[in-house]
Amino acid sequence: MRYESQKIAQNFYTFAVLLFLVQVLVGIIAALQFIWPDFFPLKFNIIRDLHINALVVWLLMGLMGATYYVVPEESQSELWSIPLAKFQFWATVVAVTAVVLGYIWMGFDPQANKFIAGTLLLNEGREYIEAPRWADWLIALSVILFLLNNFMTMYKSKRWTGIQGTLLGGLTFLALMYLPGMFYSKSMVKDQYWWWWVIHLWVEGAWEVIAGALLAFMLMKVTNVERHVVERWMYIEVALVLFTGILGTGHHYYWIGTPRYWLWVGGIFSALEPIPLLVMVWDAFRTTRTHRVVSNRLGLFYATSHAIFNFVGAGLWGVIHTLPQVNKWTHGTQITTAHGHLAFYGAYVLLVMSMIYITLPLIRGAENFNTSRGYRSFWWMTISMIFIVLTLTGAGMVQTYMERLVGLDYVTVKANYNLWFWIFRAIFGLGFLYGVTLFVIDFFKLGREPVEAVATEPSETTV
Amino acid sequence: MSNKGIRNLFIFGSIFFFVIFIGLTIDTMKKVDKRAPKITEEVDAGKKLWHKYDCIGCHTILGNGSYYAPDLTKITVNKPEGYLEKFLVNPRKVKPNAAMPVLGITPEEAKKIVAFLDWVSKVDTNGWPPKPVLARYRVPQIPGATVYEKYNCKACHMINGVGGTSGPDLTHVGSRKPDPEWHKKHIRDPQSVVSDSAMPPFPQISDEELNQLVDYLITLK
Repeated sequence: MRYESQKIAQNFYTFAVLLFLVQVLVGIIAALQFIWPDFFPLKFNIIRDLHINALVVWLLMGLMGATYYVVPEESQSELWSIPLAKFQFWATVVAVTAVVLGYIWMGFDPQANKFIAGTLLLNEGREYIEAPRWADWLIALSVILFLLNNFMTMYKSKRWTGIQGTLLGGLTFLALMYLPGMFYSKSMVKDQYWWWWVIHLWVEGAWEVIAGALLAFMLMKVTNVERHVVERWMYIEVALVLFTGILGTGHHYYWIGTPRYWLWVGGIFSALEPIPLLVMVWDAFRTTRTHRVVSNRLGLFYATSHAIFNFVGAGLWGVIHTLPQVNKWTHGTQITTAHGHLAFYGAYVLLVMSMIYITLPLIRGAENFNTSRGYRSFWWMTISMIFIVLTLTGAGMVQTYMERLVGLDYVTVKANYNLWFWIFRAIFGLGFLYGVTLFVIDFFKLGREPVEAVATEPSETTV
Repeated sequence: MSNKGIRNLFIFGSIFFFVIFIGLTIDTMKKVDKRAPKITEEVDAGKKLWHKYDCIGCHTILGNGSYYAPDLTKITVNKPEGYLEKFLVNPRKVKPNAAMPVLGITPEEAKKIVAFLDWVSKVDTNGWPPKPVLARYRVPQIPGATVYEKYNCKACHMINGVGGTSGPDLTHVGSRKPDPEWHKKHIRDPQSVVSDSAMPPFPQISDEELNQLVDYLITLK
């Protein structure tokens, strides 16, 4: 770490990591509620709201922390305003906590979610963007302050690198794409139409652009690859992401009441969406193979894993059900859940974790740190997630066959034919929780353990 | 190509695709209202309640949502009139093993929610959800079974694993309720024998059909 202001990243990482733990804990409760609906005082809808909102918020916090690290380094200057960054951090923490308490309150008293001045007080009742309108404005303000701080840092230093330009572009796109979720539509069709602008153009647009920029930064940080090479590939990746991803939104417009031409537009462009993700994998491997000077093996390990599972989860598990001919039967089944889990894990959980493992040792001034927990955490999480995704995929296939093709009742299929999938999913969920716990412990101990406890890396001869 | 060239390709290419996307969006916005019935005040009120009670936290609608509870796109087509209003107010009174909790929905609110769901069921969804293609299970070649099919009893009831779960399973109904007179009364006016039943009355069923249906039901042992 070269700049004092990069330390602010640690605040964001800490909050992110704690929310990650919360996300997985409520995820286990949700998994058990598939088997026993009354398992917990809060019902499934509230638990799921917490599960998916914690996910979005912790990933955003992680990406913000990562940006606060990257921008001073790329600009070669301190952040424009550290107090502003601190204010933005604490304001976000307070707003997020208020929203969470609101969900819990609503869980115990559904009537508390009242309409006030035309908007709902505690929960907007729209998936992923459940946060009420007053919180939307606070989130928007937080993101604007964040963008301003980073933009001013770049502007003052006059060093416009490709990486930070792309990062800022991705983050601005992210902020803009929050707006289509902030108005009410009387028509459920239009409601879902604009809602997908937010959801799809975030995860398959803006976030992938950010991922491309951060991947380039990480590869440059841990190997001795030249900047112009990583930036070239970064541009190719993010260009392909948006060329395919923007019109790929069409794969959400097959069956919601929108015109038929979306079947063509969505089918063609979304089928191409895995290509940039495959280029990212190739990029990571090529860089690793040709540049043997690696300063942080664990960090590179995570970054490469992120590229691979981004391709498998977001790319392959998406493309299997993206064509309208297939999607007609699988839409609205557990196949989507399986895709969602592996995509978020590969594309964004591993991305934020790799940024943490690459930048946190530098922030804490620990060039050498105990990496064994980091590897163990990876294998526990990844193997568990693969099995969670396989059980969900199995459940989705059974559901598609029994419900969509044979015409059996939804509840019958869920309660009888898919019961064992739910049981296995919960068990693998516990494995995932164990991996996350290891990671959280590692996060707090990294660089703070006595040097004697530091395990040595595998020697060069064994690699 | 230089890095700068690729960067410009990225920027202007992305803008190009976004402009196309906006064009398609404008066209779509013009067309969607014609693909669905008019939105009445009651439908809009129902939609607001849909959001208030965070229904999407468990259900899917138009296939999007939480995958924990049934998709509601065609629910008003599949359930008899009057059933959903009762179910929404107190799910477990209507269906003892329902996973859905009592949310405090009033009967007036339930009506609005059903109006909203009914609107959704009439949206032109390009044929989704598809009709099951393998649902050619054998209907027993007896008159009562045909009547059972004709009045779509399987929307709510199950026999040998086929059918809905909203009403009681009828696989062994003949053992539980062997009295044909009870069945006749029940089908004509369910509340006359089960006071809080959520089943709608079937006055439209002819006497001959009723006899055939009851003859069939009491054989299910």
